[in-house]
Amino acid sequence: MLITDGSPLLRIGGSDNDRHDRMRRIGWIDMESVHSARILVAGAGALGNEAVKNLVLAGFRRIDVADMDDIVVSNLSRCLFFRDKDVKTVMKSDVVAERASELDPDATVTSMPGRIQDIKNWDYDIVLGCLDNISARMHLNSHSYFHRIPYIDGATDGFRGKVHVVLPGGPCLQCTMNRSHVREMERRFTCTGNSTTYVPRMAADITTTAVIAAMQVREALKIVSGREDMCLKHVAYYNGESCEMFTAEASVDPECANHLLREGE
Amino acid sequence: MGIKITVKNTADGSTIKMEVDPKETVSDIIDSAAEYWRKDAGAYVLKKGKSILRGTDTAMEINLMGGDTLEMIPDPEGGR
Repeated sequence: MLITDGSPLLRIGGSDNDRHDRMRRIGWIDMESVHSARILVAGAGALGNEAVKNLVLAGFRRIDVADMDDIVVSNLSRCLFFRDKDVKTVMKSDVVAERASELDPDATVTSMPGRIQDIKNWDYDIVLGCLDNISARMHLNSHSYFHRIPYIDGATDGFRGKVHVVLPGGPCLQCTMNRSHVREMERRFTCTGNSTTYVPRMAADITTTAVIAAMQVREALKIVSGREDMCLKHVAYYNGESCEMFTAEASVDPECANHLLREGE
Repeated sequence: MGIKITVKNTADGSTIKMEVDPKETVSDIIDSAAEYWRKDAGAYVLKKGKSILRGTDTAMEINLMGGDTLEMIPDPEGGR
């Protein structure tokens, strides 16, 4: 039976044949914009696996995944796209791109194996930071800010996590950093490929990773749907031990190099 | 004259009393609290009310008053 009142034809049972029908029922989500948005996911580890999975299932179809590493056994407890046979044989970004594409044949997930410092083309609508150190985050933050691309940073440490949304013109990651970040940045192994010192691996678990990556993708949905008014302002801190979350607002640091450079043009 | 404040460690809820010179910075407060709590190296931010404080701002610049409580939050950096 068909009902024809000028609106799109309603087909009995048709909603079950539409991959994104349930998403469309969330009125403010603009699925056409979601489909066409160009997304960079920097980091194809724990957060990157979860973020790309969520992006593809949510309807994003143009996703680039950048990572310089291959897969190790300890990744297998947090990365749904990785298998035992992948260990030490393939690059993380290659595996994520290949297997995420299987989730939706209309999605194009492209692997960008290599350092994020080597990314030349910043033609993106959203950048998701799924990294593991401050130096790499600073790089992503500054390039995103300079190119006026919304940047959604995720981070975890054991059962704690954080999401930081940086919108063009607003406070950036660097605006919230202090001397403790600089010290930590100098101490850490960096994603530049130059190991400067040995630092013990950080605690991590899939449940916290899943929460933080889900929040990152949810913020991306708001931004591409033109609902920046609903976005997180600016940082959410999550404590999985107490099941608590709180938000905090940042302010532009007038001395922040990113703002001086961009606003000084 | 120093400003007597409380710093709360959001990781475990513990607090310390601290006397801060108006010219001391947010980074100075973080360093002192981290040292007192013998925290592992790591990054932290300080929150006053709803706002994250900038590291280079002084106690005077953030309008720190006696009796204020600042929250010290570990700033995670993992994810891969």
